[in-house]
Amino acid sequence: DATQGTSSDCKPCPCPAGATCAVVPKVREVVCTNCPAGTTGKRCELCDDGFFGDPLGQNGPVRTCRACKCSDNIDPNAVGNCNRETGECLKYKCKACSCSRLGTVDRQTSCSQVTGQCQCLPNVAERDCSACQPGFFNLQSGNGCERCSCHPIGSTN
Amino acid sequence: PRPDVDFLPPGTHLLFAQSGRIEHVPLEGHDMKKAGARTVLHLPEKVIIGVAYDCVEKMIYWTEITSPSISKASTQGGEPTAVIDSDLNSPEGIAIDHLGRTMFWTDSVKDNIEVASLDGSQRRVIIDSDLVNPRAIITDPPNGNLYWADWNRDAPKIETSHMDGSNRRVLVKDDLGLPNGLTYDSQSSLLCWADAGTHKVECMSPSRGDRSKVVEGIQYPFGMTSLGKNIYYTDWRRDAVVAVDRYSGKESDEFQPQKRTKLYGIATAYAVCPSGQNYCAVN
Repeated sequence: DATQGTSSDCKPCPCPAGATCAVVPKVREVVCTNCPAGTTGKRCELCDDGFFGDPLGQNGPVRTCRACKCSDNIDPNAVGNCNRETGECLKYKCKACSCSRLGTVDRQTSCSQVTGQCQCLPNVAERDCSACQPGFFNLQSGNGCERCSCHPIGSTN
Repeated sequence: PRPDVDFLPPGTHLLFAQSGRIEHVPLEGHDMKKAGARTVLHLPEKVIIGVAYDCVEKMIYWTEITSPSISKASTQGGEPTAVIDSDLNSPEGIAIDHLGRTMFWTDSVKDNIEVASLDGSQRRVIIDSDLVNPRAIITDPPNGNLYWADWNRDAPKIETSHMDGSNRRVLVKDDLGLPNGLTYDSQSSLLCWADAGTHKVECMSPSRGDRSKVVEGIQYPFGMTSLGKNIYYTDWRRDAVVAVDRYSGKESDEFQPQKRTKLYGIATAYAVCPSGQNYCAVN
């Protein structure tokens, strides 16, 4: 309040360099009105929609705002794709699990909602449990893959 | 200037959302008076998506996704008030029937369309099937019609129904990409959309079904509104409001706010309500 005539009337904005601020009437709260690119919030402490981080380091070290990644499982045309601080994905672009039933535990067809990984039997590989790990064979058994047991002298590797 | 709520001066304006604020640009005829642009509402912790204007009570309505809710505030000053704050997940588009005193909104996670009175009461789901990514929604109050777009990448479409959800029909499904924005001009009876996939603005007459291109080669439209000969859309690449003359197909102006970040929904705040009445208004 510059009308009182004391030396402490005007204070610098509690905002990152260059940002302007204003006082909200009634509640007398100071709010930054022109946060640096990519940031928002009362003190420019939040990332814009579609980005995540902790630009002021309020909950630990400073993490500049980065685009939501979500294992490339989000659609850039969507809004609210991830939590603005943690980056936790909020909107998966869902695809069918398509688990290979011969390779999954109890022939399950469901998978992790985050990674899409199906629950594989022993020595079975791939996201959809569709192949044996190297050195193993017989996915068709339905009990996982068996060791090849090739003789080291007679095989090429 | 007061940072949270500002008065909207008399006249017609564009209202648009940019991150945690709703800005206005005065219109003089169809021209944007860019020097008069101001923040109407500053909600720094929110992400505002959809914006609508009630010309009767001169209130702004908006959808917000960080604490999913629908709120309103008077353009004559006044505190923002939540109207709906439960059982929402990702509310996006919002439209008002100023004659029937109702609002409609899309939810892109619940994949439905709901209606409620402007005070939030009498809430009801009117469409809850065959929606994947519903976003834009608009009303045609005199005729009692609703229009919405679904940007489902596998099968984008633009649909219509009566305001109670009955008589649902697909209007457009061919040669669409990401139809993010929709607007309806009651004088010409044309429904127009802005597509971030085909990079075009196109229009059609819902009754005749004929379709025409207004402009192509646009960048990344999100929200859309119109006034007379002009169409206005927000653009995610340009961080700007773009004005296009619908008859010449030429871009006539651009407004780029000082803050560079994505612009979302846009609405026209009429100085005076468009004339007309409908069934719901008299029953």
